[in-house]
Formats: sequence, C-alpha cells, structure tokens
Amino acid sequence: MAQIKLENITKKFGGVTAVNNFNATIKDGEFISILGPSGCGKTTVLRMIAGFEKATDGKVSIDEKIILEAKDGKMLSFIPPEKRGVGMVFQSYAIWPHMDVFDNVGYPLKIKKLKKDVIREKVLKALEMVHLSEYVDRMPNQLSGGQQQRVALARALVSEPTLLLLDEPLSNLDAKLREAMRFEIKELQLKLGITVVYVTHDQSEAMAMSDQIIVMNKGVIQQIGTPMNIYETPVNDTVADFIGLVNFIEADVTKGKVRSEKINFETNGTFDFEGKGILAIRPENIEITTGPYDLEGILEARSYLGDSVDYRVNVNGEIIRLIDSVENMVNLNKGDTVHLKIHKSMVFPAR
Amino acid sequence: MNHITESEGKKNSLLPKKGEGIALKTVMIGISVLFLVYFILVPMVNLIIRSVFVDGTLDFSNYTKVYSESVNWNALINTVKFASLTMVLSLVITFPLAWLVGRTDLPFKKFFRTLFVTTYMIPPYVGAIAWTQLLNPKVGYLNKILISFFNLKSAPFNIYTGGGLIWVLTLFYSPFAFITISRALEKMDPTLEEASRISGASPLKTLFKITIPLMLPSILAGGLLVFIAAGSCYGIPAIVGMPGGIEVITTRIVSYVYMGTGKGVQEATALAVSLMLIGNLVLVSTGFIQNKRDYVTISGKSTHPNTVEMGKWKWPAFVITSLYGIIAVFIPLFSILVTSLIKSLSKPITFANLSFSNWINVITRSQFLEPIKNSLITATITATVGILLSLMVSYLVVKTKVKYKGVPDYLVTIGGATPSVVIALALIVGFSGQLGLNLYSSLTILIVAYLVKYLTMGVRTISASIAQVHISLEEAALNSGANFYQAFKDIMMPLIRPSIIAGWFLIFMPSFYELTMSILLYGSRTKTIGVLLYELETYADPQSASVLAVLILSVVLVGNLLVRKISKGNVGI
Repeated sequence: MAQIKLENITKKFGGVTAVNNFNATIKDGEFISILGPSGCGKTTVLRMIAGFEKATDGKVSIDEKIILEAKDGKMLSFIPPEKRGVGMVFQSYAIWPHMDVFDNVGYPLKIKKLKKDVIREKVLKALEMVHLSEYVDRMPNQLSGGQQQRVALARALVSEPTLLLLDEPLSNLDAKLREAMRFEIKELQLKLGITVVYVTHDQSEAMAMSDQIIVMNKGVIQQIGTPMNIYETPVNDTVADFIGLVNFIEADVTKGKVRSEKINFETNGTFDFEGKGILAIRPENIEITTGPYDLEGILEARSYLGDSVDYRVNVNGEIIRLIDSVENMVNLNKGDTVHLKIHKSMVFPAR
Repeated sequence: MNHITESEGKKNSLLPKKGEGIALKTVMIGISVLFLVYFILVPMVNLIIRSVFVDGTLDFSNYTKVYSESVNWNALINTVKFASLTMVLSLVITFPLAWLVGRTDLPFKKFFRTLFVTTYMIPPYVGAIAWTQLLNPKVGYLNKILISFFNLKSAPFNIYTGGGLIWVLTLFYSPFAFITISRALEKMDPTLEEASRISGASPLKTLFKITIPLMLPSILAGGLLVFIAAGSCYGIPAIVGMPGGIEVITTRIVSYVYMGTGKGVQEATALAVSLMLIGNLVLVSTGFIQNKRDYVTISGKSTHPNTVEMGKWKWPAFVITSLYGIIAVFIPLFSILVTSLIKSLSKPITFANLSFSNWINVITRSQFLEPIKNSLITATITATVGILLSLMVSYLVVKTKVKYKGVPDYLVTIGGATPSVVIALALIVGFSGQLGLNLYSSLTILIVAYLVKYLTMGVRTISASIAQVHISLEEAALNSGANFYQAFKDIMMPLIRPSIIAGWFLIFMPSFYELTMSILLYGSRTKTIGVLLYELETYADPQSASVLAVLILSVVLVGNLLVRKISKGNVGI
C-alpha cells in the first residue's frame, strides 16, 4: 500500500521559509493529521506530496519511489501530480460546475481510458460509498455544500488510490455536519485500508480521526504523536496552548520543585532545567471548593455550559480559568472567596 | 426596564427623519427617471416609430427603398461580415494572450496585462489613422521599409481593403475580449484545474477539458462585446474602409444625414434601426445559449496562485507576446508621434525632417484651439452632470427597496449598449423641435449624447463601490442620530469618493475624444477635437491630425494613471 517518507523538506517562497526541515514517516494505512494555525506551512507540505508545490530542499518518496527531490532550490527529480496516483479532496471541493455528478466522479477513470461500463460500475460504487447514489445525474449547483463534499470524496476515491490527501475538507461545512463527516471519513479509511494525510487547523477534528498528529508552527514540526500523547504530554507551551485550553503562570524551577510566587503555589517534580519556567494547568485539572486548598482567590465570573461550568478566578491578580462538573457546582456568587485544588500541572522552560 | 423605554424613545424620534429620507429618494428617482426617459427612451422609440410610419400609417417602404439600393444592402452584409470576422480573429488572438498573462510563468506578464488593457482607452480612429500611415499602399512607413528591405516591386500591404479593416478593428476592439476573458481566468478557482491534474490529466488535457469549457461563457461574452463594438464603429471604417470603397451601415447613415435633407434622415432611420436589430439579435441568441449553461458558478476564493510552468516554451512565448505588443501598440503610437513631428511627408524620415513646427501651428491657431476648448468644456460638463446622475441611479438600485428602482439603471445600460450613430440620429430626429426641444447644433445636444452613451461608465463604477458599503454602516449612523442626508454625506460619500473621481474621468475621457456622435451633431461653432482630427485626416493634413492624436493620447494616458492611482487599481480600464 502506501508509505510516505518526507526527509529534510524545506520550502522557501522568496525570502520566507514556509516549511523548515520537515521530517516525517507516514506508515501504511495510517491516518495522520498535520495540525497547526493558518500559515504554519501545513498545506504547503500536503501540496508537496500532491505535486502542486516543489521543495527548495529535501526528498519525498511514496513506497520507496522518489516523487520529489531537491537541493538548494534545484529539482533533482519531480513527478507531476497526474502521475502520482493519489486522491485528493480540496478545501473548496473543486467540483467542476460544467459536469454533472457522474462526470465529475468518472473523470479520473475517463482520463485512464477505461471502458464505459467499467467506469459506470466504479462510479456508482464510489457514489454508494459516500451515500450519494440518487444524485448521479445532478449538476453541482443543485447540490448542498455537504453533498459537493461527498462528490469530491467519491472522485478522490474512484480510482482506488492507496493514499488520500485531504486539505481542510470540513472547514466549509456547518458544525453538525462537520462532526458527522468526521466519523464517515474515518470509517471509509478503515474500510478501504488506505493511508490518509489530513490537514486541519481544528484540533478536535485531528484528535477524533488521527492515529498520529503532526503539530506544526511557523514551518517547524513541534511534536509528532498520538492524540493522547500530544494532549497529555505536550513538548512545549506552543503545543500545550494549541491543543486544548491551558492556564500559563510564571514560575521558578529548581531541581525537584516548581514554585510560582505570584499565586503562591508550589509542587514537586523532576525537571531537566532550572530557572525561569512556565506552569501550565489545564482548566479541567482544577477543582473548585469552598474549603481551604492549594490556591485562594476571588470568583470573578461563572458560566453554566450545560454539561459543565466555566469559572474565572482571580488569584493575586492572575485570572485562572477552570472547568468543573455540574455536580460539583456549589452555591457561589461573584466576589466570593474560593479555593482551588490543582490535580495536575505541566512545566515548560520560559521563552 | 429603564433601558427598554429609552431605546424605544430613540426609535420613535428616528421616524420623521426616515420620512425625510424617503422624500429625498423620491426626488432622486424623479430627476433621474425624467432625464433618462426623456433623453434615452423617448428619442429611441421615436426613431423606431419614424422608421416604420410614413405619413402616419404603418409602412415599411422606408426599408424596402433603402435596401433596394445595392450600396446599402452591401453595407449591411459588410457590417455583419466584418463584425463577425473581427470577433473570431479577436478571440483567436485574445484567449491565448489572456491565458499566457493570467495562468503561466510568462516573463513580465504584469506589464503585458497593463499594456493590453490600456489599448482599450486608445480612440479607435487614432488607431485607424496610425495604420493608414503605416500601410498606405503608396506612402505607408511599413510598406516602404518592407519594399526597400526585401527589394519588392510594389507595396506588400494595402490598408484600404476588407483585410485592412478587419486588422485595425481587431487590434482596437480585442481588448474588450481580453478584459472579459482575463478577469474570468483570474477569478476561476485554481483548484478546479488542480483537481483535474490529481485525477491524472496532463496540463494540456486540463486546459481543454476543464479550463476552456469553464471559460466558454466568458469567451462568448467577450466575443459579443467585440462584435457589437466593431459593428457599430464609425471611425475605423470611415478612415480605413471608405477610401477603398468599403461601406458599412454606420458610414451609410452618416452619408445620408450629411445629405442634409429630410428624406436623407428618414432613410437613415431605417438603417439605424437595422443596426440596432442586428445587435439585439446577437444579444438575445447568445443570452439564450448562456442561459442554458447557467452552471457558471466560478467561486471567487483563489487561495494559491496556480501558474503553469512553460519550461522551454517560456521564452518563445515571451517573444511572440512581445511581438504582438509591439505591433498592436508601439508601432502605431510611434508612427503617430513621428508624423506629428515630420516636416515633409514626401521626404524620408531623418532628424533634419523633424521639428515642432506642426505642434506650434496647432497650438497657436484659433481654428485648432476652438474645437479643443469645445471638447474640454463639453467633456467637463458631461462628466460632472454624469457623475451626479450616476450617484442617484446607483444609490437607487443598490441601496433602496423602491419599486421599479432598477428602471433607471436599465435605461442607462440601454444607452451604453446602443450604437453611437443610432443615439446621434435619434437625438437629431427627436430634438430638432419635435419633442419640445430644439437642441440642433448646440453644445447641449453633444452633452446629452455623451451622457446617453457614457453614463453607464459612471453607474458601473459607482454602484460597484456603493455595493461594498454594507447597509449596517449607514444604519449605525442613523442609529447615532444622523438623518438620511447626514448619513449619506458623512458615511457614504467619504467611502465612495475614490470611485466618484474615477467615474468622473471614465466619463470625461471618452467624451473628450468622441467622434461618431459629434460628427453628426456638431454645428459650425461647436466643432470638437474628434471632428477636427477626422477632417484634417481626410483633407490630407495628417501631420496636424497626428498632433491632435498625440494630445488626445496624452489626456487619456494621464486620466488613466489618475484613475488607477485614485482607485488603487480597483477600477481597471
């Protein structure tokens, strides 16, 4: 099937480095997400795998076959997109408005000059896979956004590629449909056993579907790991900040101890650095109580969210956000003195 | 509780002010509709009626009589023939150019784009004059160069032929198609092409299977613009066609009117209505085709520049594009500049034969200065009145919910789409006392004619920019206590000021150098620069004509640069 290897990829646009020394191996049958804020270089990486962008330096290979190799801005080898045999779904769907659903999906097969009845069979199969069988004769302008999305997916899968590239495919859909499509795409991937590279800036999308996540920022890989791995043990404050919510508090780190003067809190642990650091605490790892505990502060705001309660507590001028369960909600009013219990915290070196 | 009563009180205090706004809107509708109906709709309908009614009864004898003369029948055939061939040739040249400039890594493509678009503002008759200077069979510069270079016995080209006519029409009207097609190419979502590549299609296959089919409606629309412009053009056939005995409908109409008799004008109406019919027929039939292809939902978000790398073809393509640019723009302009400086046409072009004597001649004689002054005055008034009307019409159509608010805009579009020669004839027939006004030979009739034809420039520019101002911006002003007039002055005006200035120039420039309508409407004391130039050209004073042409080109160039600067490149010509 398909294993992709990206080695030392660097891409410069003029003087700007969009991707800097990118190294990753995507295993066969793996669902991998490239996650990062807009402009972090994630789409550029995907477009290099597709063949729409060339690299300034580095090597990309699919199943040991080199599809792109560059050194100092010179291309040593380059296989054009049409000869790479990968499927791709674009952010804007890129459904051709002058062709009906059948012709859109059948286009890759027509280019391959397959027989008409073979094309018909394969197109119908692909449409069935994305639950669009009854729309085969529709024109694109008669389809909703979600249906266009499915046409794009069917077109990308119709020639049975071993590698599927998805460029923020769900970003133009509404919230409910977006969530439903996550499961559908994941299910399709498992059923077909294909390798998927998925580009997104939405962390919950990446968490829900991926076997591995590559977190990127400013063209540089920050961390590669499983969703749990990245959430629980982010390698730096950038990753912690990008995945999930987090409170950052200045702290001093010594060998076995971290202490924040500001909120008068300290805890033990082993750290591989000393000096200025950042204490990072996720809101769900803080519990609010009335009795005396780790921290004391004044309740500034409280929002009832249905499944949980969102608090903002002022601890010596530092606003700490925490999310606690509804069961735990005690009768507290704005201005009350409250106590916080910290269940878990992370420590990173200060910038 | 307090809050609610307070805000309700405010809402109530707004009501009478809203009333004021409605009253002002009514006045605006009144003025614009009155003007447009009186000067566009009434004369046009009058023209059509006059062509089919003889002495009060329906009678097509006008038409049968006019077309029983072979010269008129041939003119009709020629009009359709030359317009069609110009359209085809324009598309054949323009699509590759637009594609090279818009979609490939052609070197200096931004420069080429500006070059091809700017040609649009060069008056077509200036182009015609340039090409007669270049390819006149006896004295054409290019012909002479080719004869001596290849040792030929006779001139290889003769501009005064059908081929010459199509050549000049194509060079000066293909920018219409270029602008339409290149805009569509730029707006097209490049991932539509990328999706084809990733589906296994080569760049060439993608061009033919995806790009061209998607562009077809725009190609058609561009071609249509060229067809109508070429078919209703007067300047080029008058200068290039008539000396070789080639007549088209527009030249026939002008000849009939120049007979100076009522019968002449009467027969001209039949020709003018025929010309309108041809244009409308083409419009309707292509509209039908386009309606059938209503898929044109080319999405606007282009995220990545998608350029085709031409590799070894890059430089050959550059050479061909440059050659076209040199032939289409630089050689004609250079020829006009040289002719304006030449002392004696019969002597070879040497530095001794160049001087500013033609220029001094033109700028010191009242015979030349008077028409220049006339054109400056009429163009200034036209542009100023035109911008006020455009503001009203645009505001009406974009921002109000008044019933029939689109009618003025529609009339303006009709005016802009009607051949100039037809507008002029309709005004002659209508305002020689018949419809309550006698404007014959006055500056006013010129201004009215220019307004009818060029108001659409102002309306399109201003309504596009008004549409950008979200309704909530004005509502916020009303909510802050401003009345309709204050909100318009404080919020709308500053936001659309650039487009108002740009629109002013877009009306000023074509009015300044207008030829076709002026030649039918000018009087002894209202001669314009376009008419003067045409007279000088036909009375064999090409040097003075070239001086005027250079003057016009300078005005156009400066105006263009100003428009670009003011609108920050948003209003493209």
